[in-house]
Amino acid sequence: MRWATRAGCHVDRAACAWLIRRYVDAEPEFVFVTDPDDVPADAEPFDIRGAALSHHGGDCSFETILRRYDLTDPVLWDIARIVHEADIGDDRYDAPEAPGLDALCRGLSLVLDDHRLLDVANTMFDGLYEHRRRALAGGFGPA
Amino acid sequence: MPRRPWVLMVYRLPREPSTPRIAVWRKLRRLGAVQLGDGVVALPESAETIEQFDWLAEEVTEAGGDALVWTDARTSGAQERVLLGRMAEALSGEYVVVAATAADAPGDPAARLRLVRQLRRDLYRIDRRDHVHPPEREAARRAVDELAQAAAVQP
Repeated sequence: MRWATRAGCHVDRAACAWLIRRYVDAEPEFVFVTDPDDVPADAEPFDIRGAALSHHGGDCSFETILRRYDLTDPVLWDIARIVHEADIGDDRYDAPEAPGLDALCRGLSLVLDDHRLLDVANTMFDGLYEHRRRALAGGFGPA
Repeated sequence: MPRRPWVLMVYRLPREPSTPRIAVWRKLRRLGAVQLGDGVVALPESAETIEQFDWLAEEVTEAGGDALVWTDARTSGAQERVLLGRMAEALSGEYVVVAATAADAPGDPAARLRLVRQLRRDLYRIDRRDHVHPPEREAARRAVDELAQAAAVQP
Protein backbone atom coordinates (compact mmCIF):
# COMPACT_ATOMS: atom_id res chain seq x y z
CA MET A 1 0.00 0.00 0.00
CA ARG A 2 0.96 3.66 -0.22
CA TRP A 3 2.34 5.64 2.70
CA ALA A 4 2.85 9.39 2.65
CA THR A 5 5.08 11.58 4.75
CA ARG A 6 6.80 14.93 4.64
CA ALA A 7 9.75 15.35 2.30
CA GLY A 8 13.19 15.89 3.82
CA CYS A 9 13.19 12.81 6.04
CA HIS A 10 14.86 12.91 9.40
CA VAL A 11 15.24 10.34 12.17
CA ASP A 12 11.57 9.81 13.14
CA ARG A 13 10.35 9.39 9.55
CA ALA A 14 13.30 7.18 8.61
CA ALA A 15 12.65 4.99 11.66
CA CYS A 16 8.89 4.87 10.94
CA ALA A 17 9.51 3.82 7.32
CA TRP A 18 11.79 1.02 8.51
CA LEU A 19 9.20 -0.06 11.09
CA ILE A 20 6.40 -0.07 8.49
CA ARG A 21 8.45 -2.12 6.04
CA ARG A 22 9.57 -4.67 8.63
CA TYR A 23 6.41 -5.07 10.72
CA VAL A 24 3.34 -3.60 9.01
CA ASP A 25 3.56 -3.77 5.21
CA ALA A 26 6.20 -5.90 3.45
CA GLU A 27 5.87 -3.99 0.17
CA PRO A 28 5.26 -0.36 1.03
CA GLU A 29 5.42 2.48 -1.47
CA PHE A 30 6.52 5.76 0.10
CA VAL A 31 5.35 9.14 -1.21
CA PHE A 32 6.91 12.42 -0.04
CA VAL A 33 4.94 15.66 0.11
CA THR A 34 5.76 19.16 1.28
CA ASP A 35 2.21 20.09 2.32
CA PRO A 36 -0.22 17.83 4.24
CA ASP A 37 -2.86 18.85 1.65
CA ASP A 38 -0.88 17.00 -1.04
CA VAL A 39 -1.18 13.56 0.60
CA PRO A 40 -2.77 11.28 -2.05
CA ALA A 41 -6.25 10.02 -1.11
CA ASP A 42 -5.17 6.36 -1.22
CA ALA A 43 -2.09 6.85 0.98
CA GLU A 44 -1.81 6.48 4.75
CA PRO A 45 -0.05 9.56 6.11
CA PHE A 46 2.52 9.31 8.91
CA ASP A 47 4.72 11.79 10.80
CA ILE A 48 2.83 14.69 9.29
CA ARG A 49 0.73 17.25 11.10
CA GLY A 50 -2.89 16.17 11.50
CA ALA A 51 -2.26 12.46 10.80
CA ALA A 52 -3.28 9.70 13.24
CA LEU A 53 0.18 8.13 12.88
CA SER A 54 2.14 11.10 14.13
CA HIS A 55 3.13 12.89 17.33
CA HIS A 56 0.52 12.40 20.05
CA GLY A 57 0.51 12.95 23.79
CA GLY A 58 4.23 13.63 23.86
CA ASP A 59 5.04 10.50 21.81
CA CYS A 60 6.96 10.70 18.56
CA SER A 61 5.47 9.04 15.45
CA PHE A 62 7.59 5.89 15.89
CA GLU A 63 6.01 5.34 19.32
CA THR A 64 2.54 6.09 17.95
CA ILE A 65 2.96 3.40 15.24
CA LEU A 66 4.20 0.89 17.84
CA ARG A 67 1.05 1.51 19.90
CA ARG A 68 -1.33 1.56 16.96
CA TYR A 69 -0.12 -1.81 15.60
CA ASP A 70 0.33 -3.39 19.06
CA LEU A 71 4.03 -3.97 18.54
CA THR A 72 5.28 -4.98 21.96
CA ASP A 73 8.76 -6.32 21.11
CA PRO A 74 10.98 -4.82 23.86
CA VAL A 75 13.79 -4.31 21.32
CA LEU A 76 11.50 -2.03 19.28
CA TRP A 77 10.61 -0.07 22.42
CA ASP A 78 14.30 0.24 23.20
CA ILE A 79 14.83 1.70 19.72
CA ALA A 80 11.83 3.98 20.40
CA ARG A 81 13.70 5.36 23.42
CA ILE A 82 16.61 6.37 21.15
CA VAL A 83 14.41 7.69 18.31
CA HIS A 84 12.29 9.72 20.77
CA GLU A 85 15.33 11.48 22.22
CA ALA A 86 17.00 11.96 18.81
CA ASP A 87 13.78 13.49 17.46
CA ILE A 88 12.33 15.39 20.43
CA GLY A 89 15.17 15.50 22.98
CA ASP A 90 12.90 16.21 25.94
CA ASP A 91 14.87 13.96 28.33
CA ARG A 92 11.92 11.66 28.83
CA TYR A 93 14.40 8.80 28.37
CA ASP A 94 18.07 8.24 29.00
CA ALA A 95 19.43 7.74 25.47
CA PRO A 96 23.15 8.44 25.11
CA GLU A 97 22.93 6.99 21.56
CA ALA A 98 20.49 9.71 20.46
CA PRO A 99 22.93 12.53 19.55
CA GLY A 100 24.87 10.12 17.29
CA LEU A 101 21.74 8.85 15.54
CA ASP A 102 20.51 12.43 15.12
CA ALA A 103 23.82 13.51 13.53
CA LEU A 104 23.89 10.50 11.18
CA CYS A 105 20.32 11.04 9.95
CA ARG A 106 20.84 14.77 9.52
CA GLY A 107 24.00 14.17 7.54
CA LEU A 108 22.42 11.49 5.34
CA SER A 109 19.47 13.79 4.55
CA LEU A 110 21.98 16.35 3.23
CA VAL A 111 23.57 13.98 0.71
CA LEU A 112 20.71 11.62 -0.28
CA ASP A 113 17.22 12.09 -1.67
CA ASP A 114 14.35 10.70 0.42
CA HIS A 115 14.08 7.34 -1.38
CA ARG A 116 17.82 6.67 -1.11
CA LEU A 117 17.78 7.87 2.49
CA LEU A 118 15.10 5.34 3.42
CA ASP A 119 17.14 2.56 1.73
CA VAL A 120 20.23 3.44 3.74
CA ALA A 121 18.22 3.98 6.93
CA ASN A 122 16.68 0.55 6.46
CA THR A 123 20.08 -1.10 6.77
CA MET A 124 21.03 1.24 9.60
CA PHE A 125 17.95 0.36 11.66
CA ASP A 126 18.38 -3.37 10.91
CA GLY A 127 21.82 -3.01 12.44
CA LEU A 128 20.57 -0.95 15.37
CA TYR A 129 17.88 -3.57 16.03
CA GLU A 130 20.44 -6.39 16.10
CA HIS A 131 22.75 -4.35 18.34
CA ARG A 132 19.99 -3.53 20.83
CA ARG A 133 18.63 -7.09 20.70
CA ARG A 134 21.99 -8.49 21.78
CA ALA A 135 22.51 -5.73 24.33
CA LEU A 136 19.13 -6.43 25.94
CA ALA A 137 19.81 -10.18 25.92
CA GLY A 138 22.88 -9.60 28.08
CA GLY A 139 25.51 -12.29 28.36
CA PHE A 140 28.54 -11.40 26.31
CA GLY A 141 27.01 -8.14 25.15
CA PRO A 142 26.47 -6.62 21.76
CA ALA A 143 30.04 -6.76 20.42
CA MET B 1 24.28 40.68 6.81
CA PRO B 2 21.41 39.29 4.73
CA ARG B 3 18.09 39.09 6.51
CA ARG B 4 17.15 35.56 7.41
CA PRO B 5 13.68 34.03 7.23
CA TRP B 6 12.00 33.32 10.56
CA VAL B 7 9.28 30.85 11.40
CA LEU B 8 6.55 32.19 13.70
CA MET B 9 3.95 30.47 15.79
CA VAL B 10 0.88 32.39 16.91
CA TYR B 11 -1.03 30.45 19.54
CA ARG B 12 -3.72 30.69 22.16
CA LEU B 13 -4.37 28.24 24.98
CA PRO B 14 -7.21 28.20 27.51
CA ARG B 15 -6.13 29.77 30.83
CA GLU B 16 -7.20 26.60 32.65
CA PRO B 17 -6.05 23.88 33.03
CA SER B 18 -2.56 25.26 33.50
CA THR B 19 -0.67 21.97 32.87
CA PRO B 20 -0.69 22.20 29.03
CA ARG B 21 0.22 25.90 29.22
CA ILE B 22 3.25 25.07 31.32
CA ALA B 23 4.17 22.11 29.08
CA VAL B 24 4.08 24.33 25.97
CA TRP B 25 6.05 27.06 27.72
CA ARG B 26 8.72 24.51 28.76
CA LYS B 27 8.98 23.19 25.21
CA LEU B 28 9.32 26.69 23.79
CA ARG B 29 12.13 27.31 26.22
CA ARG B 30 13.81 24.05 25.22
CA LEU B 31 13.60 25.02 21.53
CA GLY B 32 15.22 28.37 22.28
CA ALA B 33 12.27 30.28 20.80
CA VAL B 34 12.16 34.05 21.23
CA GLN B 35 8.92 35.61 22.48
CA LEU B 36 7.63 38.42 20.27
CA GLY B 37 4.47 39.09 22.23
CA ASP B 38 1.64 37.37 24.05
CA GLY B 39 1.29 34.00 22.29
CA VAL B 40 3.70 34.91 19.46
CA VAL B 41 7.06 33.15 19.27
CA ALA B 42 9.79 32.93 16.64
CA LEU B 43 12.82 30.88 15.61
CA PRO B 44 15.31 31.25 12.76
CA GLU B 45 13.74 29.19 9.99
CA SER B 46 14.99 25.75 8.98
CA ALA B 47 13.30 22.47 8.09
CA GLU B 48 13.94 21.46 11.69
CA THR B 49 12.48 24.56 13.37
CA ILE B 50 9.39 24.54 11.13
CA GLU B 51 8.82 20.94 12.16
CA GLN B 52 9.33 21.75 15.83
CA PHE B 53 6.69 24.49 15.69
CA ASP B 54 4.36 22.24 13.67
CA TRP B 55 4.43 19.59 16.40
CA LEU B 56 4.01 22.15 19.13
CA ALA B 57 1.06 23.68 17.25
CA GLU B 58 -0.46 20.21 17.10
CA GLU B 59 -0.01 19.87 20.85
CA VAL B 60 -1.65 23.26 21.45
CA THR B 61 -4.61 22.15 19.30
CA GLU B 62 -4.89 18.83 21.17
CA ALA B 63 -4.99 20.80 24.44
CA GLY B 64 -8.03 22.76 23.22
CA GLY B 65 -6.20 25.84 21.97
CA ASP B 66 -5.43 27.03 18.48
CA ALA B 67 -2.15 27.70 16.74
CA LEU B 68 -0.93 28.92 13.37
CA VAL B 69 2.59 28.45 12.04
CA TRP B 70 3.89 31.08 9.62
CA THR B 71 7.01 30.56 7.52
CA ASP B 72 9.34 32.88 5.62
CA ALA B 73 8.75 35.85 7.92
CA ARG B 74 11.33 38.60 7.46
CA THR B 75 11.98 41.82 9.31
CA SER B 76 14.51 44.64 9.07
CA GLY B 77 18.18 44.01 9.78
CA ALA B 78 17.98 46.18 12.91
CA GLN B 79 14.99 44.31 14.32
CA GLU B 80 16.60 41.00 13.46
CA ARG B 81 19.70 42.01 15.44
CA VAL B 82 17.50 42.85 18.44
CA LEU B 83 15.91 39.40 18.34
CA LEU B 84 19.25 37.60 17.89
CA GLY B 85 20.66 39.71 20.74
CA ARG B 86 17.82 38.68 23.04
CA MET B 87 18.38 35.03 22.18
CA ALA B 88 22.12 35.36 22.79
CA GLU B 89 21.53 37.07 26.12
CA ALA B 90 19.29 34.25 27.36
CA LEU B 91 21.93 31.66 26.45
CA SER B 92 25.09 33.45 27.54
CA GLY B 93 24.09 33.27 31.21
CA GLU B 94 23.82 29.49 30.97
CA TYR B 95 27.23 29.20 29.30
CA VAL B 96 28.76 31.42 32.00
CA VAL B 97 27.42 29.06 34.69
CA VAL B 98 29.02 26.06 32.90
CA ALA B 99 32.38 27.85 32.61
CA ALA B 100 32.27 28.95 36.26
CA THR B 101 31.40 25.44 37.46
CA ALA B 102 34.31 24.03 35.44
CA ALA B 103 36.70 26.65 36.87
CA ASP B 104 35.58 25.86 40.39
CA ALA B 105 36.05 22.08 40.07
CA PRO B 106 36.82 19.85 43.06
CA GLY B 107 40.37 18.52 43.50
CA ASP B 108 39.42 14.84 43.65
CA PRO B 109 40.12 13.26 40.21
CA ALA B 110 37.05 10.99 40.23
CA ALA B 111 34.81 13.92 41.19
CA ARG B 112 36.41 15.98 38.41
CA LEU B 113 35.66 13.32 35.82
CA ARG B 114 32.04 13.12 36.98
CA LEU B 115 31.80 16.89 36.71
CA VAL B 116 33.25 16.83 33.17
CA ARG B 117 30.59 14.31 32.10
CA GLN B 118 27.81 16.35 33.68
CA LEU B 119 29.00 19.64 32.15
CA ARG B 120 29.30 18.06 28.69
CA ARG B 121 25.69 16.85 28.98
CA ASP B 122 24.68 20.38 30.04
CA LEU B 123 26.52 21.84 27.04
CA TYR B 124 24.80 19.40 24.68
CA ARG B 125 21.39 20.42 26.05
CA ILE B 126 22.14 24.13 25.73
CA ASP B 127 23.58 23.58 22.25
CA ARG B 128 20.35 22.01 20.99
CA ARG B 129 18.50 25.28 21.50
CA ASP B 130 21.39 27.62 20.63
CA HIS B 131 20.67 29.21 17.25
CA VAL B 132 22.99 32.19 17.75
CA HIS B 133 26.28 30.93 19.29
CA PRO B 134 27.21 33.80 21.64
CA PRO B 135 30.95 34.17 22.47
CA GLU B 136 30.37 32.64 25.92
CA ARG B 137 29.68 29.33 24.17
CA GLU B 138 33.29 28.94 23.04
CA ALA B 139 34.58 29.99 26.48
CA ALA B 140 32.39 27.40 28.21
CA ARG B 141 33.49 24.62 25.85
CA ARG B 142 37.14 25.55 26.38
CA ALA B 143 36.72 25.58 30.17
CA VAL B 144 35.20 22.08 30.13
CA ASP B 145 37.89 20.77 27.72
CA GLU B 146 40.60 22.15 29.98
CA LEU B 147 38.99 20.52 33.00
CA ALA B 148 38.82 17.21 31.10
CA GLN B 149 42.53 17.41 30.22
CA ALA B 150 43.46 18.28 33.79
CA ALA B 151 41.35 15.36 35.05
CA ALA B 152 43.05 12.98 32.57
CA VAL B 153 46.64 13.86 33.55
CA GLN B 154 46.01 13.73 37.31
CA PRO B 155 47.56 10.66 39.01
